Amino acid sequence: MTDRPDAPSALGQRAGKIDGPPKVTGAAVFADDLRLPRMLIGKILRSPHAHARIARIDVSRARALPGVHAVITGEDLPERYGVIPVSQDETALKIGKVRMVGDEVAAVAAVDEDTALAALALIEVDYEPLPEILTVEDALTRSDVLIHEDAKNGNVTKRVFQRYGNVDEGFAEADVIVEDEYLYEASTHVPLETHCAVGHYTPDGKLTVWSSTQIPHYLHRYLARVLGIDAARVRVIKPEVGAGYGGKSDPFPLEFCAAELSRRTGRPVKIAYTREEVFYAHRGRHQFKMWLKMGVKKSGEITAIDYKCWLDGGAYSSFGVVTSYYAGVFMTLPYTLPRYRFEAIRVFTNKPPAGPKRGHGAIQPRFALELHIDKAAAALGIDPVDLRRRNCVEPGTETVNGLRITSVALKECLDAVTKASGYHEKRGRLGPNRGIGLAASTYMCGANHSIYASEGPHSTVQMKLDRSGQVAIFSGTADIGQGSVEMLGRIAAEVLGISTRDMRVVEGDTDLTPVDLGSYSSRVTFMAGNAVLQAARRCRDQLAGPVAAKLGCAPADLVFRDHRIWPGDHPEWKDDPAHSLSFRQGVEVAEAATGQGIGAMGSYRPPRIGSRFRQTSVGPSPAYSFTAQVAEVTVDPETGEISIDRIWAAHDCGKAINPQVVEGQVEGCVYMGVGEALLEEHVFRGALYQSPSILEYKIPTSLDTPPIEVLLVESHDPEGPFGAKEAGEGPQLSTVPAIANAVWDATGVWMNETPFLPERVLKALEAKRKAEAKGRTAAVAPAPRGSGSGT
Amino acid sequence: MRQILRLTVNGEAAESLVAPHQSLADFLREDLGLTGTKHGCDLGDCGACTVLVDGEPRLSCITLALECEGREVTTIEGVARDGRVHPVQEAFDRCVAAQCGYCTPGLVLSCVALLRDNPSPSEAQIRAGLSGNICRCTGYTKIMDAVREAAVELAGQAPSPAEGSRRD
Amino acid sequence: MMRLPAFDYRVPREVGEAVSLLAEYGEDAKVLAGGTDLLPSMKQGLFTPKVLVSLRGMAELRGIRDAEGGGLRVGAATTLRDVARDPRVLALYPALADACSTVATHIIQGTGTLGGNVLLDTRCTYYNQSAFWRTALGFCLKKGGDVCHVARTSPTCMATASADTVPALILMGANARLVGAAGERVVPVESLYTDDGRDWNTLRPGELLTEVLLPPPAPGSAILHRKMRRRQAIDYGFLLAAVRVDGDLAGGLTDARVVVSCVGPRPVVTPLGDLVAGRPLTAELAEEIAHAAARPAAPLTTHGVMPSYRKKMIRVTVRRALDTLRGEPSAAV
Repeated sequence: MTDRPDAPSALGQRAGKIDGPPKVTGAAVFADDLRLPRMLIGKILRSPHAHARIARIDVSRARALPGVHAVITGEDLPERYGVIPVSQDETALKIGKVRMVGDEVAAVAAVDEDTALAALALIEVDYEPLPEILTVEDALTRSDVLIHEDAKNGNVTKRVFQRYGNVDEGFAEADVIVEDEYLYEASTHVPLETHCAVGHYTPDGKLTVWSSTQIPHYLHRYLARVLGIDAARVRVIKPEVGAGYGGKSDPFPLEFCAAELSRRTGRPVKIAYTREEVFYAHRGRHQFKMWLKMGVKKSGEITAIDYKCWLDGGAYSSFGVVTSYYAGVFMTLPYTLPRYRFEAIRVFTNKPPAGPKRGHGAIQPRFALELHIDKAAAALGIDPVDLRRRNCVEPGTETVNGLRITSVALKECLDAVTKASGYHEKRGRLGPNRGIGLAASTYMCGANHSIYASEGPHSTVQMKLDRSGQVAIFSGTADIGQGSVEMLGRIAAEVLGISTRDMRVVEGDTDLTPVDLGSYSSRVTFMAGNAVLQAARRCRDQLAGPVAAKLGCAPADLVFRDHRIWPGDHPEWKDDPAHSLSFRQGVEVAEAATGQGIGAMGSYRPPRIGSRFRQTSVGPSPAYSFTAQVAEVTVDPETGEISIDRIWAAHDCGKAINPQVVEGQVEGCVYMGVGEALLEEHVFRGALYQSPSILEYKIPTSLDTPPIEVLLVESHDPEGPFGAKEAGEGPQLSTVPAIANAVWDATGVWMNETPFLPERVLKALEAKRKAEAKGRTAAVAPAPRGSGSGT
Repeated sequence: MRQILRLTVNGEAAESLVAPHQSLADFLREDLGLTGTKHGCDLGDCGACTVLVDGEPRLSCITLALECEGREVTTIEGVARDGRVHPVQEAFDRCVAAQCGYCTPGLVLSCVALLRDNPSPSEAQIRAGLSGNICRCTGYTKIMDAVREAAVELAGQAPSPAEGSRRD
Repeated sequence: MMRLPAFDYRVPREVGEAVSLLAEYGEDAKVLAGGTDLLPSMKQGLFTPKVLVSLRGMAELRGIRDAEGGGLRVGAATTLRDVARDPRVLALYPALADACSTVATHIIQGTGTLGGNVLLDTRCTYYNQSAFWRTALGFCLKKGGDVCHVARTSPTCMATASADTVPALILMGANARLVGAAGERVVPVESLYTDDGRDWNTLRPGELLTEVLLPPPAPGSAILHRKMRRRQAIDYGFLLAAVRVDGDLAGGLTDARVVVSCVGPRPVVTPLGDLVAGRPLTAELAEEIAHAAARPAAPLTTHGVMPSYRKKMIRVTVRRALDTLRGEPSAAV
């Protein structure tokens, strides 16, 4: 019995997704599409002040408005929460003070939206403004102003300091030292679906919450705690989710408010955020200010990295403690690094909270490092690809900070992408103002440690077969568009030899589906994929004995493929009813032979690794994906506009379960990177976010998106399900630096600050022209020894 | 004051009492239960609420329901033909052009109109035809694949009444 | 999600009826054409009219007709897309067709009207925001407040003219037919705007824009429209420029004018007859025209794009438009 017989495999086929048809017909039901009998509409009142004491709230006029069924304020839901257990600094509605424009102050439930809005206008709140902390510098120096008065470290959410080996020795060994400052701008997710939740508390004392969440399991725990309801009586259902990209990975006030308002009114309550509210909910990419110093020998060997970064965290912690680790732990990949020192400081400011966005915490340092590699290559006169190859980590190794490396196909990615793009033929030869640039990157396939301390499995999948021939998969995963439903189905299809479209995948329902930690840290394919693989194999084993007995062969000889089961050493028997069974008959035979139903659980718990250094409990992953990307650009020397002619992305995804889905993930990553590189920025007027709309926050349209060419590279990870690794986040990491390196090839200007807005590019070009006119080039081109050389 | 609205939705006559400030999107979703039409921004910026009015793409979140008096509205629920999903929908499915699927209904309708007006669009014309609908998932790559495939498929078919009825 | 404020809705069947309604309701009425700007603005609380007077019932306001003596009459409720695709417009006024097809998105172009564009409200990053946002900032001169957040000491509002079609219409010498209770008048499109972004148009109370009149193009004149924006769709410009030259490009020009918009409450018109008269359109002259066009423009922080950059781009954009006329590649890449 084998997963990969000669018959056509379910894996690797360019097929549609199991959940494609409902999505293309409008039948897919998202949270805002739910309408329950007697449902009320909830709305949240938000603070117009960035930092203020709440002196008084009077909701009496709102309560008195006909059609209003409940009004709640902070004291009604006082229990604190926060997605990371060590930083519980949020309440659903704020108590005593507000910390940002948009902070939630009160919530109402009314018969319709107009009435709910009218009620909000009747709530009187007196605020006493407090001084505002707007920058990292403010946060670090204004000890007189505390955003969280009971925080242990003032306005510092988290400081991480790690040291592996003696970096000063490393710099002493180096022939070239490259040192620079970088600024990576904040950005936000903008899923097309705004957050929406429906709470329904029923007379049996049970609470059901439908929510557009990436983390049904964590939400389940926090709803139970904040509402004070036994977790066994709380059910979270994730309907179709109109994407998240990390933006729906925290519990959000609307979920608690919809639940509490339902408990108070005895009626279902729906709250949907407006687009503007999503910008305040944020949890997007942290702005990073980075200082990076790297030593390299003439041979190209990297000797040490010293790296420091400041993270502007906004008003709450969200995932910030974790971000502070991710900010540094992946710098030891994919280039072998013998010595490393790293410091991250994440602070609170009176702005919407930053959190996890696609490539969480790793995008920003990757930008700095990949520009640094090209700068070092330029300084040493080495080809940038050669420099990367020279330092590429090898399979079966461990990094200086204790990350265990299994499969690596970065060199293959570099080969594929340079060949497809003609990188070497084009570099430096495209003519004036045109350039080509490359960057590489790596990302984890799930975190080795769950968010809260637990020895339990990270993923569990339950599978049920019956005599109808249908296979049902129950999984706590949260498909948010990345394709986890398809992934689960296709792995099961491969094992059982049936078609994915005959399956039902029930996902993200805490009453029906066993625990999965959720869609974050690119964990789902690796972890839930392994869980469903195990469940499917167990189910197949339950069929194999009785079927083999019936067909008169050994169980191990059976092949499951094309809805048929037959002895594999007789391919000609596949469709011969005398010697083979249909899959449905197989289930019937097994049910009859055993008198038992057919079904199994499968689970995944990451191997216990990464304990060599206690400080790296964040970062270790069972496997890492690798990407190499090339961008070709044209820079307009008069306007500073960059147009990206094409991007090639080669991604080591381990194994493409469904290649179209994997390509789609890579394409989506590149797209999001293009937005961060060229368009998306967070601008504030004081503490007020200046562009809380899709019109003003410039995510790319189809006309702003370059052609994207994806090359899938399969390294067959030894522990991944059928060798698979992640594809949903890693490919974004190399997009922005590839573009920056291309701009350098085109113009000789390093764009050390994102986004590369035309005015910034133009300013850099003008500075370069001025410098060249004066006969100096040192200001823009990397000197053979960077500024502040330590050697 | 509520007013009577009479129009055709997905080929069926509809009559309803509608408040003047009711948007077409809300009317379709709340009054008719056609929730395939999505709210993405509510300000006419994203295209998720795109429907066809007399065959032409319209942003239903910034269209008053009453402005559609006497008109023919097609939503994502109404583009199927003869019980079979539209070739654009088939192509979106086959090419995995829908990731999260939230922008998909609006995009499908824009693509149906695009291919009706221009049965064999160039790359640039496809990009232009998609440019009123934000997709945040796909980088538009698979959507462009789907449009190309649908164009080939449609090349051999006659237009349906729903698509043919361009009126001014 | 976002709701519209409640209002009454009227659908007049002829212009006279519309004008009476507008006279009857005065300030409480707004005209609803395509609604692509009005309705989002109402959702943001920028307007709370008691009555919307819809133009949809008046077929006479839609369509493009040949004008007596040449030129075209474009009904104010004609969609931008119908203008952009009209063969006569394409042949006679390609700059107008260009301008229409750069508005927002093709969907908006199919909904928004030429009249709506000509009378597009002035825009500003501190104004085109939700009621909540403007509460958080403090209301501005244009709506509900007494200070301009762009220029604190300014007694007038700095919100910018942003209509894509207007620079080209001005250079075409287009006129607007305005109908009010007291009668109708025809005025140059150029005269519709003021220097105060708050009271930004010169329409009299109750007047309805019914037609945009396009005179026959002057022989030997060429007009080009250019737009700069962050995004290639779903975006207003941060700079609009239209350029007109008359005469023989190689032999000698007789006149030139440039209109720059998105830099202040009204489009900035720079007549350049004296500069260009008798001179061929050389690279040098193009540069001089570009400089002259940029000189009077004083962009402020009404947009997310830096004023100094926008100012610089006026020169580049105008010069490139002229280079295109000269047969040079439009971008000097």
